[in-house]
Amino acid sequence: MHDLRKYFPIQKGIFQRTIGYVKAVDGISFDIQRGETLGLVGESGCGKTTAGRCLLRLIPPTSGSFIFGEEEVDLAKLSHHEMRPYRRRIQMIFQDPHASLNPRMTVGDIVGEPMRVNRTEKGAALHDRVVELLEAVGLRSQDIRRYPHAFSGGQRQRIGIARALALQPELIVADEPVSALDVSVQAQILNLLAELREKFHLSYIFIAHDLSVVEHISDRVAVMYLGKIVEISDAETLYQSPKHPYTEALISAVPLPDPSAQRQREHIRLAGDVPDPSQPPTGCYFHPRCRYATDICKQETPELRQVASGVQVACHHSDTLELQGV
Amino acid sequence: MDSAYKTSAKKPLLEISGLKTVFPTDDGIVNAVNDVSFEISRGQTVGVVGESGCGKSITGLSLLQLVPSPGRIESGEIRFYRNGEDAPLDIAQVSPKSELMRQIRGSEIAIIFQEPMTSLNPVYTIGNQIAEAIILHEQVDKKTARERAIEMIARVGIPAPTQRVDEYPHQLSGGMRQRVMIAMALCCSPTLLIADEPTTALDVTIQAQVLGLMQELQAELGMAIMLITHDLGVIADLADEVVVMYAGRVVEKGTVDDIFYHPLHPYTQGLLKSIPVLGKTPQRTLPSIPGTVPHPLTLPTGCSFQPRCSERMGECERMPELVGVNGKTENDEHDVRCWLHTDF
Repeated sequence: MHDLRKYFPIQKGIFQRTIGYVKAVDGISFDIQRGETLGLVGESGCGKTTAGRCLLRLIPPTSGSFIFGEEEVDLAKLSHHEMRPYRRRIQMIFQDPHASLNPRMTVGDIVGEPMRVNRTEKGAALHDRVVELLEAVGLRSQDIRRYPHAFSGGQRQRIGIARALALQPELIVADEPVSALDVSVQAQILNLLAELREKFHLSYIFIAHDLSVVEHISDRVAVMYLGKIVEISDAETLYQSPKHPYTEALISAVPLPDPSAQRQREHIRLAGDVPDPSQPPTGCYFHPRCRYATDICKQETPELRQVASGVQVACHHSDTLELQGV
Repeated sequence: MDSAYKTSAKKPLLEISGLKTVFPTDDGIVNAVNDVSFEISRGQTVGVVGESGCGKSITGLSLLQLVPSPGRIESGEIRFYRNGEDAPLDIAQVSPKSELMRQIRGSEIAIIFQEPMTSLNPVYTIGNQIAEAIILHEQVDKKTARERAIEMIARVGIPAPTQRVDEYPHQLSGGMRQRVMIAMALCCSPTLLIADEPTTALDVTIQAQVLGLMQELQAELGMAIMLITHDLGVIADLADEVVVMYAGRVVEKGTVDDIFYHPLHPYTQGLLKSIPVLGKTPQRTLPSIPGTVPHPLTLPTGCSFQPRCSERMGECERMPELVGVNGKTENDEHDVRCWLHTDF
């Protein structure tokens, strides 16, 4: 682990087979560098959670590849058994801190379990390691004997984070880690995640529907719509000058906690709902709701292409459109 | 539109004073709503913000005498100015099961909830459910009620209303269900709509549609809205006045501009600083409020916020009163419950 510019390139194309096809995640590609945070945003049903779960092989991907680490192993092709040594290097933080902790285990058991299962620590060393982890996430060492019900939502999320850190992972997939929390607690957890990223040199895939939270934590952001990435660029560029009409509409839909700015902004109200992913529209999936759509959008599916350094967008008209950010 | 309401003389619709709603539990009495006072004027939107457990939803339910058992309103007044009557009616004194309360619910004060799926009955068509509300409150036959239902469905922007009227809730998307809820709430033209986290379960683009719809219908029907939410963005978008609640009490209230641009209570200030704002240069660390919301049975002595407050001082061991301060905008009241702004 010396090379700091290690790549985790990911190319995937996933079709979950049913009677027809529900293309939950439909050919998405991105890469994450060591220490980087990639935000995945989109509305419900856009495939962001499915994408995250495929990375951990919690759901087997239908096709595609996921090259991980400096060994450049393709995790998508490994058997269940071969996958084991890699599992400890990719961990997950879940949305609901109430459902993701076993109520009958103490905090010490919950945080220590990954190490017991993987036989990395035992006995007194295990205990010390658990205490160290609890302190790293801002809990006290005496919390080790308490049960999850004795903690508030924010503290439970800290337990989940300690568990994810137990095996010293390189990549953490955080699926809506703060959406179940109160506003004042949400800020604490976001700060903790940022702090741990520096301390342990972690990479995050941060999945969330809240654009302002994603902007805050991410270096780069990928916007998903109906199983595809429509735009990916660094966080600031994305919000200041979006290149895809869907990104523009998403940004416009977020109510700003600033009454006078909110009165002056132009509000783009998208008509209709996200289409049924089993019967996606022809051409560009976004065209029925897009106010800039022309004939070509109905016929041809735009490819994700590079339009500027670090900016990729899937829109036929991205060169000519002048879209507004915040 | 909202500025028109602000300049016109305020006509009171609802005055809540000293409202206290309690829940007796095995471990003691929980004061879910404690000494809450605020006013809602006709046609105005009042936003009630706070974190989970602060009593904002229970305040909304108290106004309709819908507090779930064993909870009850212990003291306080809810003066409701009904159409065509000069003297207000104190809802706090009306029995929850009385005929009078039934008349008020739905036809004069309506409520919409966060989760549209659990608020709709899955075994009846949406047309049936809207028509039921109309028949309950007005002397009309089934056919007229159905026509009114179709009209309401069209009005809330659901396409193909004649077809949709016969569909079941599961056939609709989340945004459409919330529109049905709004149609049902507004079918009897209430003077007050209580919206409890109306868009929390919805995606942002759908949230924008529903909030836009609520604004349009408010302008059209002139009803007042009590908007309960934890989302400060939604408050900034819709509210004229804001009530900030913490641990069952009102800690600050004022116009939306006063609250967002000149917050006085350390809790309001902390809350506003701790949310990431889209487009503001991302800071690495967000200023956060330490600790968590206290448990309602073990509230700290004095000011409930003092253990988390960065401005804590000796006086905070006693509960401050909600007092008026000179608001930064003219003619407007700005109240705060904090010793920093109160004479000892």
